Amino acid sequence: MNEDTCYTLPLGPQHPALVEPEYLKVHLDGETIVDVEINLGFMHRGIEKALQQRTYQQDRFLIEKICGICSSIHTLTYCNTIEKLLDVEIPERAKYIRMIIAEFERIHSHMLWVGIAAYEIGFDTVFQMSWRDRELVMELLEDLSGNRVSYSMNTIGGVRRDISRTMTEKIRTTMDKIDSRLHHYIDVFVNDSTITKRTKGTGILKQKDAIRYSAVGPLARASGISCDIRKKAPYLLYDKVDFKEITHNTSDVESRAIVRLKELLESTKIIRQCLHLMPKGELSIKVPDIVPVGEAISRGEAPRGEIFYYARSDGTDKPYRIKIRTPTLANIHSLQPMLKGQQLADLPIIVASIDPCFSCTDRVTLLDTRTGISKTVDETYLKKL
Amino acid sequence: MLFEILVYPGILFLLIASIIYSGIMRKLAARMQNRIGPPIYQVVYDLIKLTGKENIRPKQAKTGFTLFPAIALASVLIAGILIPIHTKTISFTGDYIAIIYFLLFSSTALFIAGYASSNNLAIVGSIRGIVMVFAYELPFIISILVPILAFNLYSIQSFDTWLITRYPLAALSLFISILAKVEIPPFHIPNAHQELVGGYSVEFTGKRLALIELTTIVKTFVLILLMITLYLGGAQNIFILLIKSLAVLFALTVSRVLFARLRIEQALRFYWIFALIAAIDLIRVL
Repeated sequence: MNEDTCYTLPLGPQHPALVEPEYLKVHLDGETIVDVEINLGFMHRGIEKALQQRTYQQDRFLIEKICGICSSIHTLTYCNTIEKLLDVEIPERAKYIRMIIAEFERIHSHMLWVGIAAYEIGFDTVFQMSWRDRELVMELLEDLSGNRVSYSMNTIGGVRRDISRTMTEKIRTTMDKIDSRLHHYIDVFVNDSTITKRTKGTGILKQKDAIRYSAVGPLARASGISCDIRKKAPYLLYDKVDFKEITHNTSDVESRAIVRLKELLESTKIIRQCLHLMPKGELSIKVPDIVPVGEAISRGEAPRGEIFYYARSDGTDKPYRIKIRTPTLANIHSLQPMLKGQQLADLPIIVASIDPCFSCTDRVTLLDTRTGISKTVDETYLKKL
Repeated sequence: MLFEILVYPGILFLLIASIIYSGIMRKLAARMQNRIGPPIYQVVYDLIKLTGKENIRPKQAKTGFTLFPAIALASVLIAGILIPIHTKTISFTGDYIAIIYFLLFSSTALFIAGYASSNNLAIVGSIRGIVMVFAYELPFIISILVPILAFNLYSIQSFDTWLITRYPLAALSLFISILAKVEIPPFHIPNAHQELVGGYSVEFTGKRLALIELTTIVKTFVLILLMITLYLGGAQNIFILLIKSLAVLFALTVSRVLFARLRIEQALRFYWIFALIAAIDLIRVL
């Protein structure tokens, strides 16, 4: 690093490339990125603490608010965890409906990502188009649940709303439309020369780096690592449906786009199979409010990667501890090897290529810079505030 | 004479027409992207709103901060007056050099203003802008010189013949350099707001920001006029001017919606190739 020519550029906390407040301190030499410091913590909301003060049923609504985009997979994994604690089996129809909603969510999340990726390389038309096509799924979700963002479909013991016969037909026709649009976007991302000029060979995360920085989700799969929880540790009825895990080996931004888009083709396949396999029956079973003493974990494949829930009960109607690990927390560290040596112009697309969701990620650790002692925030500290 | 300079086809006409054209461009781009888009007079609203806003001057800003946005607008208006539409307002020997100079200076003044604001993002934007000047100015100058040298002229004039058929390569490179001069995708590199927030204009607010916006808007129209005058057979009356300029505007809008932004070194390579292509026509003329 040449000290004379280097300068720092602040990206964030407020910045058009980052929708949420996050601070990337970029050290530059000309237009080349020398180093990046990732500073988290602008959006910490203390949700894990708040979860302990509410009952299990109330927690469901708070957990829905952790992420605006993956609101269903959060409640799904939470409900799975609590159902493990309660030791109950939910009806089969409820399982299929949960899977359908989760796949809808993946479609609208990845379509959103396609738009953002195009926006970050200054291609507004693809951004507008993909968000228009995303509306197809958003409308389905609104028809099914009444909401576009927080669907509130999952509940402990099953789901809250049914998919009617007319809805089934509507979903099938919409899936066909989405398939044709997806083929178009794959074509755009593979063949459009202005896009490939910006995406091919940028932000390379080598396979061994991906393992070392424990990347998850489409980011890891784009580096050739097979890590789909739906295949590795099937939850719900993912072992009953037939789908492929998409991996790609080129490890660059283009590879991530291709993985995400091809994954959606598998998602529509899963939804069609679920509609076909879905038996008639109950939507949910009644569960007790008091959860027996014990602890349980559950994993799920969110659009951005593996999501992890840990719950511990002390025999009351409120959880003793709930720990959440979101995929962005696992992925964000891979930004450093990806960004070093790249051009400043490629920074937004590389940051966007991990599909960051910062408010899910923020954790708090207090660090005294003089003594170097770090401590986490505990209950007494929070009560003092 | 004074009427021609101040009203038609001078300053007032340039300002009003370019604001309308900018609105049309936004609406066209929106329709091409399957959006409804803002109303055509939205640009007027924006500019009026900006003039009412507070003028903030950063503490570390240098002298040029206040001055150069106004200079940029003034120089682009002078360039606009020098371009003959159907009446020839002012003419003197070598006025095409003045046009090249004032158009270049309107860009450079903005970069200086950005540099004077002493913001890192603005400085990077300004440096990028200057690098882009080295990229697009050569094909731009060559494509202006081609018709002038072809007819052995001393000053610029409106050509009644469609020179685009005779010198298509030079016309194409003029069109391509217009894209970079007014920062239309794929060459909106200096103000790439995804990485540089607003580029050189990041510290500007209120009336100064309005001046900067207006400079780009007027420059688009002036360059469209230049394209018509040199290569598209000129404008004998205002209706022909309207039709031809809307056609060029449409072409610019297509480029705006069709491409992603290039990286700066890719843009440099691109423009030097186009300089070579335009040079073929220049050699034919000589």
